Amino acid sequence: MAEMQKIKLMSSDSAEITVHRDVAERSVLIKNMMEDIGEQAMTEAIPIPNVNEAVLNKVIEWCVHHKGDPPATNDDDADSRKKTTDIEEWDQKFMQVDQEMLFEIILAANYLDIKALLDVGCKTVANMIKGKSPEEIRKTFNIQNDFTPEEEDQIRRENEWAEDR
Amino acid sequence: MSAFKRVNVKGGISRQSILAPLREAQIVSSKPVFPAEILSTILDYLPVPGQLRFARVSKRMREMVYDDTRWVQRLQLMGCWDEKEARKSAEAARRKRSETLQSIHEEEAKRAGIGVNGTANGTNGSDNPEGPSVTLFDAAIEAAEHEGKTNGGPLKVAPPNEDGFDAIETSPRGRPAAYKSQDTASRIDIFAHVYSLRGFARQEYGKVYGALAPFYLDAIRCENHTHATVFRTYRDPTQQARMLFNISKFSNSDMSEGWQKRKEKFDALVGAFEMAVSKEFEQALDAGDVAGKMRKYAHVLAYLNGGHSGVELFISKSSIIGSRYRLGNALDCLNRKGPGSFSTEESYSFFSNVSTAFNEQVGIIDQIFPTSVNAIVPFVQRVGKAVISDYLTTLYDEAHRTNIESYLRAVSATCDQFLEMTRFLRPTSASGDDFYETLDEVIATIFEPHIDLYLKEELEFFKKRSSAEVNNWEKQLSEQDASMQSMFMSNVNRQADKRDFLTSFKKVVMMPVNVLPTFPMSSPFGGKPATAKALVNGEALATTEISGSQTSTRPSSPGVINGTTLSVNRPTTELPEPPTTELAAKAAIMNSRLEGIRSLFSIEVALNLVHTAKSSIERAAVFVKVGGHFASDARLQCELVFISLLQTLGTRHIKAGFDQAVDHLSKYKPKEVDEQQGSGVTPLVTFLELVNVGDLIQQMLDVFYEQELITTKLSDRNDFLNPAVKEKKRFEQMLDERVAAGLNKGIEVLMAEVEYLNATSQKPQDFNPGAASGGDPDVMDIGPSQAAIQVIETVSSHTRMLVGSTDKNMLDVFNQEVGMRLFAALCKHLKRQRISVNGSLKLISDMNLYFTYIQTLKNEDLLQFFKALRELSQIYLVDPADAKELATIIADGDRFHGIFRAEEVYQFAERRADWYQIKSKVERAMYGIGCMLQRFFLIQVEASYSVVPQYADPSEHEYSRLYFYPLASTVERVSQESPERLDHNDTPPSIVPP
Repeated sequence: MAEMQKIKLMSSDSAEITVHRDVAERSVLIKNMMEDIGEQAMTEAIPIPNVNEAVLNKVIEWCVHHKGDPPATNDDDADSRKKTTDIEEWDQKFMQVDQEMLFEIILAANYLDIKALLDVGCKTVANMIKGKSPEEIRKTFNIQNDFTPEEEDQIRRENEWAEDR
Repeated sequence: MSAFKRVNVKGGISRQSILAPLREAQIVSSKPVFPAEILSTILDYLPVPGQLRFARVSKRMREMVYDDTRWVQRLQLMGCWDEKEARKSAEAARRKRSETLQSIHEEEAKRAGIGVNGTANGTNGSDNPEGPSVTLFDAAIEAAEHEGKTNGGPLKVAPPNEDGFDAIETSPRGRPAAYKSQDTASRIDIFAHVYSLRGFARQEYGKVYGALAPFYLDAIRCENHTHATVFRTYRDPTQQARMLFNISKFSNSDMSEGWQKRKEKFDALVGAFEMAVSKEFEQALDAGDVAGKMRKYAHVLAYLNGGHSGVELFISKSSIIGSRYRLGNALDCLNRKGPGSFSTEESYSFFSNVSTAFNEQVGIIDQIFPTSVNAIVPFVQRVGKAVISDYLTTLYDEAHRTNIESYLRAVSATCDQFLEMTRFLRPTSASGDDFYETLDEVIATIFEPHIDLYLKEELEFFKKRSSAEVNNWEKQLSEQDASMQSMFMSNVNRQADKRDFLTSFKKVVMMPVNVLPTFPMSSPFGGKPATAKALVNGEALATTEISGSQTSTRPSSPGVINGTTLSVNRPTTELPEPPTTELAAKAAIMNSRLEGIRSLFSIEVALNLVHTAKSSIERAAVFVKVGGHFASDARLQCELVFISLLQTLGTRHIKAGFDQAVDHLSKYKPKEVDEQQGSGVTPLVTFLELVNVGDLIQQMLDVFYEQELITTKLSDRNDFLNPAVKEKKRFEQMLDERVAAGLNKGIEVLMAEVEYLNATSQKPQDFNPGAASGGDPDVMDIGPSQAAIQVIETVSSHTRMLVGSTDKNMLDVFNQEVGMRLFAALCKHLKRQRISVNGSLKLISDMNLYFTYIQTLKNEDLLQFFKALRELSQIYLVDPADAKELATIIADGDRFHGIFRAEEVYQFAERRADWYQIKSKVERAMYGIGCMLQRFFLIQVEASYSVVPQYADPSEHEYSRLYFYPLASTVERVSQESPERLDHNDTPPSIVPP
């Protein structure tokens, strides 16, 4: 029964997307919502006000591919090394989008509470910026530089042990 | 989500449009701003250099990157973060801060570099006074004291690298050359200089990172292991090993993407190094170069990764494992003395070989391995598994296949020997208490697979053996059944023997603690302490031979008893060889004397059973020493053996015996056994002896329980729920019940015998000389009659047998009952006699005899009865002329202590030989005195005289006496009927003397 059930999601730009329930429930947010509102969710479209149609489609694409994954374990506090596994190939390809879309996906994953997708996104971003200079990072993340040049140099010197190679 | 702010981006933007530049600008400005937690997650996935570059992006980013927990986590991964130490130093810092609050600014000014940092933090700190910046600032002062050197060193040497390549992707640039200038030695013990300082985790991590990361990254980049910088910087294998160990530790903190691959690569390098060192070590091992290369490479391996591979190598090459078959062959133990027997000396020599070889190896271990390596534990485990366990399994399997008893003995004895041996194993200098713990574990694992089977077999064996014993005995019994009856007859007269037995029996009972402990000497475990000592002195063979010979004597001593008791006719005449132990001898003597009862049950069987149980329990008790759950299992086992002993002995042997004895008793008819014997009721005697033996057995079990289960702490006496205690109680109860039931029957039988004796041996002329034979009535002999003497003898001999063998209370009850029944029997007997005045002398002496006998029973109530009886006998002494006096005596209730009523005394008086001559006189006197029949007489008088008496008040004795005196004939008629009439009255009138 559960496999057959379909629900509707409504993106911020009012596009309705129909998905299988178990796909949608990769999102902890939607899953909890379904539990709260019950049958009503079957008939009415669930609004996802923070995510537009393109991003939502992308997210659903990911969810469809990963619907068979075991549910995420809740032990984030456990050895943080464990979660630093390599990105699998499909995900790598999936993440080959422009930066804007990547960020949108991350934000959507964060909002919808899809931990695995969020992790993949963060890893991709990390890979993207790991060789970049501070200025490039600022550009990437749209962050204002609030350091004086002296301050910045001070930090660089403080952490010289990690530079080079 | 509060930080979530973004401009909606319209989908499907075409980059080709003319307005593209404008749109581009819009896109940049409308780029989503990540909330802090997403940035933090991204940071988690960044390698260290990337993170620190991130710190330079903005103040907020720096705060995030510098967050202490991020770095503490890395330190924890390397295993060098001590939370306790951190807490302590944080507290110390807080104290110090309050003290140095004044001088802070001066210090800041002095150190410009950190000063800037401090200011920067200070601004942050103003927003959040509890924030980490305050601590960081304070700790900076502290850190400067012990940090400056290591931190400063590399910083100056390493040129700044602005382009910020990822560490992994950068190609080798010959950097390590720069690090050579650094103190290479200090890197080796870099971890000794890492402190757990709150707010300084980043700096501390930086120290380690600076020192080790170059080598780590280089090692990963290197295609050929031998070209790694580590090996080129450090030449000495010891140093190389320590550096590799450090780097390996450091690599644990690498958690950016791809760490698994890096780790694998590095592990491969370490593996290659270990392999090379192991090869060297092995060569040294083969060459026997203990102090030189072996020691050196063992140390190298120890530095590298705790030296496990070295220990493994050493153990597998160790002579004790390699040549384990030379230490002893398991099957020798069994085949030495012919098939099926187990020889302790073989296994002993095996164990002593093992212990010698072991200690030798331990010496070598001490020499070559550093103290940090615990080589002894795996060594012990290996020796236990490969050498001892192998040996024991072979031995046990073979023994179990061929002979259960030798299996049981083998298991127990080898366990004991093994435990003994472990006490003489030498620990290495490196091992502490855990050596002994390991030993215990090893023992446990070695015996684990055997103990269940063993305990099961032990119980089985004991049950089988004990029931076989009883069965065997029963079978022999039924074979003898035919001849038994005549045996009863012929043995009955041996009063003296019985008494003798009773004394010897008492002796045994009185000193059970001295006697019983001696008989374990004949068990194979008597030799154990000697063996233990032998292990110390090394004079193994001599003592084990002793224990061996003791072993061989063991089966022979029960054999002696068997021979003694079970040969049918004259057991005592020939003994194959003198019994070896005191108790065995005692048992033999006893058994010879106890022929009479051995058809019921045998003390010797009981002794054998106890003996078997004892050896079983002692065997099982060895495992208590092993400890752990074996101890409780073994304890349970011992209790089970004890319980099964009680059951076999109790229900199967003793109960059956008692039941049979009671049966015999109830079938006993004195007349049938007639003539052939002078005294003694055979079944009763048998039974009473049985009680004695039962008591002896019970005491034996009690002592056994004390000795074997309580003193060895196998069982808890105070635990009333304990099955052993319960079973023991039940056994005692059963015994008591049987004894009580038997005694009940016994009393009946005894009385039947007494009555029979009285009936047959009391001659009529005893109390009435001259009446029967017409002999001279003047010639008579004063003294108790033959019948009385016999009765007394019968009764006393039987009651005496019980003394000391049963409960005091039960004895009292028994005596009381015997006395009462004797009293009743005597009264009955007396009423059948005819007694003349002359004969009364004899009667009085009879009565005195009874009285004296009863006195010995020391029972006050009983004494009253016989006192009354003695008084009663005097009524026959009264001369016929004094009939009136006789009447007074009869009516005198006080005289007989209320035991006889006047009517009863009257009945006794009727037994006077001259009763019919004095009857009227007595009656006249009596009814003159008594008033109980007054009303009755009045009616009579009324009838004959037709006079209505005006003085009918029964209280006027004087009048009525005068009044009725002449009416002798009437009174006589009435009085003849009166006894019967009185009997019919529910409430007999009291005799009130005037």
